[in-house]
Amino acid sequence: MKENKSILKKITGSREASLLIVLIILCIAITAKSPSFMTFKSITDMLKNNVVIMIMALGMLGVLLVGGIDISVASVLGFTGMIVGMLMKYEVVTSTPLLFVIAVAIGLVCGCVTGLVIAYGKVLPIIATMGFMYIYRGLAYVISNSEWASAENLGTFKDFALGKVLGLNNVIWVMIIIYVIFFIVMKWTKIGRKVYAVGSNREAAAISGISTKRIDVLVYTVMGTLSGLCGALAVSIYASAQPNMLYAKEMDVIAACVIGGVSMQGGRGSVVGAFLGSLILAIIAKALPLVGIESIAQNTVKGIIIMAVIILNVLAQRAMDRSNLKGREM
Amino acid sequence: MKKKVLSALLCTAMVATLAAGCGSSGGDSKDGEAAKSDDSGKKTYAIVTKAAGNPYNEKEAEGFQEVIEAEGGECIVKHPEAATADAQVSVIQSLISQGVDSIAIAANDENALQAALEEAMDAGIKVSCLDSKVNADSRMTFVNQAGTKEIGQALMDAVLDITGGEGQWAILSATSQAANQNAWIEAMKEVMTDEKYSKLELVEVAYGDDEPQKSTDQTLALLQKYPDLKLICAPTTVGINAAAKVLQDEGSDVKLTGLGLPSEMAEYIGDDDAHSCPYMYLWNPIDVGRLGAYTSIALVNGDITGAEGETFTAGDMGEYTITDAGDGGTEIILGPPFKFEPSNIDEWKDVY
Amino acid sequence: MAGKSGRSISNVPEKAIRKNILSWEGMLVVVFILMVIFCRSISPNFHLENVLREMPKYLAEAFIMLPMAYVLILGEIDISVGATVCLSATMTCMACNKELPFIAVVLVCLLVGTACGLINGLVLTNFTELPPMIVTLATQIIFRGIAEISLGSGGSVSLTNTDGFRMIAGKVGIIPYIFFLVVILAVIFAVVLAKTTFGRSVYAIGSNRLAAYYAGIPVQRIRLIIYTALGFMSGLAALFLTSVLYGANTTTGNGFEMDAIAMAVFGGISTAGGKGRLAGGIISAFVIIMLRIGLGQINMNPQLILVILGALLILAVLLPNIAGELKVKKKAANTK
Repeated sequence: MKENKSILKKITGSREASLLIVLIILCIAITAKSPSFMTFKSITDMLKNNVVIMIMALGMLGVLLVGGIDISVASVLGFTGMIVGMLMKYEVVTSTPLLFVIAVAIGLVCGCVTGLVIAYGKVLPIIATMGFMYIYRGLAYVISNSEWASAENLGTFKDFALGKVLGLNNVIWVMIIIYVIFFIVMKWTKIGRKVYAVGSNREAAAISGISTKRIDVLVYTVMGTLSGLCGALAVSIYASAQPNMLYAKEMDVIAACVIGGVSMQGGRGSVVGAFLGSLILAIIAKALPLVGIESIAQNTVKGIIIMAVIILNVLAQRAMDRSNLKGREM
Repeated sequence: MKKKVLSALLCTAMVATLAAGCGSSGGDSKDGEAAKSDDSGKKTYAIVTKAAGNPYNEKEAEGFQEVIEAEGGECIVKHPEAATADAQVSVIQSLISQGVDSIAIAANDENALQAALEEAMDAGIKVSCLDSKVNADSRMTFVNQAGTKEIGQALMDAVLDITGGEGQWAILSATSQAANQNAWIEAMKEVMTDEKYSKLELVEVAYGDDEPQKSTDQTLALLQKYPDLKLICAPTTVGINAAAKVLQDEGSDVKLTGLGLPSEMAEYIGDDDAHSCPYMYLWNPIDVGRLGAYTSIALVNGDITGAEGETFTAGDMGEYTITDAGDGGTEIILGPPFKFEPSNIDEWKDVY
Repeated sequence: MAGKSGRSISNVPEKAIRKNILSWEGMLVVVFILMVIFCRSISPNFHLENVLREMPKYLAEAFIMLPMAYVLILGEIDISVGATVCLSATMTCMACNKELPFIAVVLVCLLVGTACGLINGLVLTNFTELPPMIVTLATQIIFRGIAEISLGSGGSVSLTNTDGFRMIAGKVGIIPYIFFLVVILAVIFAVVLAKTTFGRSVYAIGSNRLAAYYAGIPVQRIRLIIYTALGFMSGLAALFLTSVLYGANTTTGNGFEMDAIAMAVFGGISTAGGKGRLAGGIISAFVIIMLRIGLGQINMNPQLILVILGALLILAVLLPNIAGELKVKKKAANTK
């Protein structure tokens, strides 16, 4: 009896649970208005179209966990995407795996530079990444030289996002694999625990022998690497490379994490939360046109839903804290 | 003590600014004259595009530059920092400072450039717009790539032709505020009132905000919501691209037409079921730029003032007449929209 | 309380902070002078008259920088100001087109701005757990969304009667009114921040919120006032922006938040809270404005200008940090 209660408490006490409830309510409401929403195809389409945000949310999770922030991610994505596009267009490199490696490598370097400036240059994350946001985006424009790479230039590269394995699109597999890796690393490895440690109490972590600077560089490098990967993925998915790709989408990535219960002060948040948060955003984007909301009002509705979700989350948390407290008193 | 140092420093700054300013206003007339004497030999023509990093705008600017330089003028190509009217205002003011002779602008907003452009005209700069217009008060004339009515007619006929005369169809536009797109959609709706089109049902106008991701979402939503949909018409280059990709990847029966860049759309244009777009329209952005250049030159030389009924020769492009634009201002129409179909797409895809 | 994290105010000697900031501001003045000389040398058109003529649009952003500096010193951020500008500009134009007297139009503009700021403030003070960035992200989408709905399918509104706005865009000689207003407001904001209990409370909250709370500072009330003031100043910025645009559209005010933050940060105001003074922010605002005008006049690629601004932003923080580190090391070596 007692044990049952504690398990139940553990489940209902987690932020993810309240999110899951929100998610289910959302899905039910949408399905009631538009029955075709809950089909396999519709869901996979939605996932495919949001893979980029979902993957970057993982990198952002790491960054937010150590108490940082990275608003340069969309710019890194544009930069690497544009490089991939141009390499393909001018037939410098045409091998798909090699292009992915290049994109990931460039993302890694971008992220590493950001991380070094933040960790060793002691520049605040928001400022450093704001600077790099301008710089990487500017470089994307410089590289594009006012050209786009279009479907025709992208030859076999765009086929990657069309291919399927076991009925699921390649890009969705990429996402699943990365999520599984992150889940394992964050939950069961030393590095994952170090990231949480640095985020919850930097001084304590440093005293206990963790190199906080190295962890900082690590999370920004991982963020950059994922952004680089997403640059290549985005080019493949949309069969087009433009210098303003996913402009200002870094806010969606951060919003996905925060909706998923990741704290911006650091130390709190989980892979599952990041997943649910980005899923909620994806569902909102997918559902708004489906349920027939006037397109002109869609942005407002989106904003209100985000606001409602985060406020509900706070209220739920408060209620939980209160009931926890009550339990202790008894 | 420290306060004194600080205030002393601040004062120095003030003095420095003033000195720089005074020094310049002293040398001002000299500079002005120097610039003017330069002018007598070479006129300066500026083109302001909608945004940087967009091949369509780039081609327009290329055409403009080519003509200006061939005619012995100096050309300034200016891209704004972002695709907003705010950013274009800064660009216009910078051009006024530089004392250019003419500004041709592809406006991001019809109205919000009025103050800046009026200031430019007060400074003696000849202002015209091309591609997308500003209101009648802020321009001398407008180089229109194709008549709004002609575009509406061409697109409606394409819809009629591809659907086989009946069935559901939808529009995928840019943002709900895009002036050009809205004008074309209105024109299409007007054409549709004709008996000929009575069996066509326009089920929805969706907006993809010219973002590939959102356009993809919207296209998928259209397919899901209307299983009997026969055609999507996307009068925007980003939207048509995203929609073409979705339809072709899905192997959908739904067909596509609209306005798109041949280089972007080459992959999707074809008559068979494997291609999503049988044909589409656009104009030649290089020609828009070239006609814009000839218009600027004619304005600066005083050959035209932008009044209705005036005619001028645009180099090898022939003679053009300024007509009433129906908004209180005047316009010059380049010509009818150009049809891109499987037979000519290969020839054009490398051009723009 | 080793002051290692730079968060404690009590233990860090007052003098050290002052000296540090003084030198930063001094450096900014030098940078400003160099910038003017540099721009003068690259562009023959860079003279007082032109600079003052091009300035009003940029000065509208300086309005926002002033209260934004307060928000940053609190250790918070507000990214909804651009949308607030958009919404108040939209409402202003609509009110003006309803043929309200001009004074009423001005009131509408300021009220809408203030209301937006108040909403941010109320949400943030009632749900203190929420990070300001995410709340203002949501309100950013909402404010711009409301503007989109009000603007309807045209997406833009223009003034039918521009008389009032022509008046406020007026000039004394060659100096536009907005210049004086910026200077006056800058002095007021700087004095309040540096010389009053209110200002000191802002620093206290930014340095250590909990300590400030236990010291009896009305933390939430101060936050509410600052966010509301930010909304008000965004309304003011919208008013002057409208006088430059004679209209509004859905992209009006795009990027204002980042520009305002960049100006403040470049002026030595830390986004970690508790540090920085307005004088630096004001000088750096002018440095950035000069740079934009100057590089604009030589028709530099706008994306490159952004790259330069980005690099400046990072270097402005990075270089002093590295220099400080070296100094510390040198000292350590000397004492050995």
